[in-house]
Amino acid sequence: MNWWDDVMHRAVAEVILAGALTGLIGVQVVVRRLSFFTLALTHATFPGVVAASIIGVNLLLGGVVTGAVVALGVAALTRRRGQDAAAATGVLVSGGFALGAALVATQSGFSRDLSSFLVGSILTVSAGDLVSTAGVLAVVAIVLLVCARPLLYAGFDPVGARAAGIAAGGWDVVLLLTIQLVVVAVVPAVGTILALSLIVAPAAAARLWSDRLPVMTALAVLFAVGSGLAGLFASSRWNLAAGASISLAATAVLAMSWGLQRLTATVSAARAVPA
Amino acid sequence: MAAAALRLAGVSVGYSGRPVVTGVDLELRPGQRLALVGPNGAGKSTLIKSVLGLAEIIDGSATVLDRAPAHARAFTGYVPQTGNLDPDFPVSARQVVMMGRYRRLGWWRPARAADRRAVTEALDRVGLADRAGLRFGLLSGGQRQRVLLARAIAAQPRLLLLDEPFNGVDAVSQEAIVRVLRDLSAAGTALVISTHDLAVARDLADLVCLVNGRQWAVGTPGETLTAGPLRQTYGSSAIDLADGRMVLVEP
Amino acid sequence: MIEPFAVPFMGRALTEIALLALICGPVSVFVFVRRLSFVSDALTHTVFPGVVIGFVAGGMDGLFTGALVAALLTAGVLTVLTRGARLTDDAATAVVLTAMFSIGVVLVSRRTSYTSDLTAFLFGRLLTVTPRQIAETAVLAAVILVALAIGWRAWLFRAFDPAGAAAAGLRIGRLDLWLNVVLALVVVAAVRAVGTILVVALLIIPAAAARMVTDRLAVMALLGTGLVLAAGYTGLLLSWTASLRYGVALTAASAVVLALVLAYLLLLPVRRWRDRAPVERTSPHELVG
Repeated sequence: MNWWDDVMHRAVAEVILAGALTGLIGVQVVVRRLSFFTLALTHATFPGVVAASIIGVNLLLGGVVTGAVVALGVAALTRRRGQDAAAATGVLVSGGFALGAALVATQSGFSRDLSSFLVGSILTVSAGDLVSTAGVLAVVAIVLLVCARPLLYAGFDPVGARAAGIAAGGWDVVLLLTIQLVVVAVVPAVGTILALSLIVAPAAAARLWSDRLPVMTALAVLFAVGSGLAGLFASSRWNLAAGASISLAATAVLAMSWGLQRLTATVSAARAVPA
Repeated sequence: MAAAALRLAGVSVGYSGRPVVTGVDLELRPGQRLALVGPNGAGKSTLIKSVLGLAEIIDGSATVLDRAPAHARAFTGYVPQTGNLDPDFPVSARQVVMMGRYRRLGWWRPARAADRRAVTEALDRVGLADRAGLRFGLLSGGQRQRVLLARAIAAQPRLLLLDEPFNGVDAVSQEAIVRVLRDLSAAGTALVISTHDLAVARDLADLVCLVNGRQWAVGTPGETLTAGPLRQTYGSSAIDLADGRMVLVEP
Repeated sequence: MIEPFAVPFMGRALTEIALLALICGPVSVFVFVRRLSFVSDALTHTVFPGVVIGFVAGGMDGLFTGALVAALLTAGVLTVLTRGARLTDDAATAVVLTAMFSIGVVLVSRRTSYTSDLTAFLFGRLLTVTPRQIAETAVLAAVILVALAIGWRAWLFRAFDPAGAAAAGLRIGRLDLWLNVVLALVVVAAVRAVGTILVVALLIIPAAAARMVTDRLAVMALLGTGLVLAAGYTGLLLSWTASLRYGVALTAASAVVLALVLAYLLLLPVRRWRDRAPVERTSPHELVG
C-alpha cells in the first residue's frame, strides 16, 4: 500500500504544509495588523467556492478569483478614513458569509457543507489538495523572499516609501493578494475560523520572542507546524474535531509564550533590584 | 551655473484638484537651507509632498534639479514625521537606515560592504551607532527622528526635505540634527525644513518661505521674520513684543 | 405586501427584528466610531461555547445563561487584552475569537447532532421565534437602551478624544468594558433568534450605511434603526416569496443580511459624491483601525 493512501499520513502532510504556509504569511498579517482583513477574506471567498462547486469548476480557482476581487475591493473601499475602513471590512464579513450561505442553501446537503467550510475537514484531504497546497507554499515563499524589501518599506513607512519611489499602494495589493492565496489554499483543510487561528496565533507568539522578521518568521512556521501536529494527535487520540484541536493547540502556544515572557520579565525585574 | 536644486514658479499644490497652498515662487540652490514657516495646517506638508511627487501640482511649474518632481526621486530624500509610524513594527534602527539604500539595492540583491558602511556611517553621524540594534519603537522621539534622518543621509540625496523634524524632539537630538543639517548643506545638499518654530528658522535657514494657504513672503530670515510678514501669515495670533520681536500664540 | 406577516411566525419574526432595530441603530453608531467591528464579530463567535455548555447543562433554559456568561467573560477578556500588552488589538481579538469558537466546536463534536447544532447557531431560527424569546429580547432591549441613555456622552467623548477624556477624569478602561458588555448583551439578546451572521450585520452595517448620508450621530442612529426595519421587512418578504413561489430555500437570516449589505452598497456612491476629500495616507494598517 502506498504511504499516501493512509488518511492520517495525508493529514500529517497537509498539516505540515499548511503550517509552513500560515506561519510564513502570519508574520505579515500580525505585523501589518490585518487579522480582521484576513477574517473578512476567509468569509468573502466562501460564495466563490460555493459558486465554483455549483458550476463545477475548480474550487481553488473559484476561491482565488472571488478572493482577488474582494482583496481589490477592500483596498479600494478602504483608501479612506479609518472608521469607514473597519466598517467596510465588517460589511464584507457578514455580506460574504450570508451570500455564500444563501448559495449553499439552494443546494442539497446544506449543513454538512457549511460546517466543513467553517471547521474544515483535514481528514478528507486528497493527494490533489496536497499538491495544490505545496504549489501555493512555493509561490508564497518566493513572493515573500523576492519582494521582502519593498514589502518591508511600504509596511513600515508608506509615505517615505513612496517618496523613495516604491509604489506603496501597489505593494499593499501584492500583500493582500498573497494573504488571499494562502486563505484559499488553507480553508478547505482547516476551515475559515481555524485558518485565521493558524495564521494569527503562531505569528503573534513568535512576535513575543523576537523583534527580527526572519527570526519571527522561522519561529512562526515552527509554532504553526508544531501546533498542527499536536492538534492532529489530540484529535485522533481523544476523538475531537481536528480543526478545533489544532486551533486550540496554536492558542496554547501563544498563551505559554505570553506566560513565559511575563515570567522572564518579572525575574529580570527582580534581578535588577540591587540586593 | 549649476542647476537649481528646487525651482517653484507660481505653484499651487493640493489634492484631487483642490488647492491647499497657492502662489509659491522660490528657488533653492545646492547647499542652501530653506525653512518653510507657517502655522499648523498651513499646507507645509502638502508643499513638501508635492516636491516629492506625492501631492498634485495644480498650477505653475515645479522642477527638482531641472526634472519633474516624480522623476527626480533618485536625488531627493525625505524625513517624515515620526508620529505617523507604527512603533510596534519589528524593525531595528539599522534596518530602517538600510531602507535608504533599497533604491540602489533593488529588490533582492544582498547588501554589500559599501552599503553596510554607508549605513554605519549615517548612524554614526546622527550619534546613534550604539543604538543600531534596538527596535525602532524602543527609541525616544528624538532618536527616532535621528534614525529617519540617517536613513535619508544613507541615500545620499541632493535635495533633502524634512517635515517638522524638531517636533517633540529633546534638546540633545535637536542639537545633533542641526549639526548634521549644517554639515550636509556645507557638502552641497539643498535642504527644505518645515517648522513652526521661528527661532529654529532664524538660526538655521538661509532662506525663509512664509506659508499659510498661500505664500506670504520669501527671503532671508532678516527680511521675512519681521512684524509685517509674520502678521500677514499668522493673522491675529502674531503679537508684537515691546523690543520689536514677535511671539506667536496659536489661537 | 402585508399579508405574509399576518401569518403568526412571520409576524413574530418581524417583531423580533423591530425590537433589535431599536437597539442596533444606536449601538452600531458606537461600534462605528470606536471601530469595534472586529470585537463585535468576535463576541458573536465566542458566545458559541457558552451556548453549548448551557444547553448540555440545562437544556433550553441553560442556553440563555450560558450565552450570557460566555459573552460577559469575552467582554472582560477583550477589554483586558486590548489594553497595553505586546499583542496588538486585532491579533488578540482574533485569537480570543478562534480559541473560544474552537472550544465550542470541540464540545459539539462530541455530540451526534454536530452539524445541525452549528447551523442553528449560525443562522438562528428566525422563523421559529417564540413569544417567550421576544419577551426576553424586549427586556434586554430595555436594559440596553437605559445603559445607552446613561453612557452615550462618556462613550462619545472617549471615542473622539481618549486622552482628553482621561484628563477630564473619565475612566477609559471602565468605559470600554461597559461598552463591550453592552455589545455582549445585544449579542445574547439576538443570537439565538437570528444567528451569528445576522447579529454581526446588525451591529456593523446600520451605522456604516447611515454614515454615507449624514455626519450627525443622532441622525445616524435613527437612520440605522430605520434601515434595519426596512431590511428586515424586505428580507423576510424575499425569503417568503422565494420559498413559496419559486421553491428556493433562502434562509430568512441570510436574506435580511443581504438586504442590509445591498443598502450599504447602494449608499456608497452617495458618500463619494458628498465628500471628495483629499486621499491621505493609505495603508491597510487602517483596515482594522
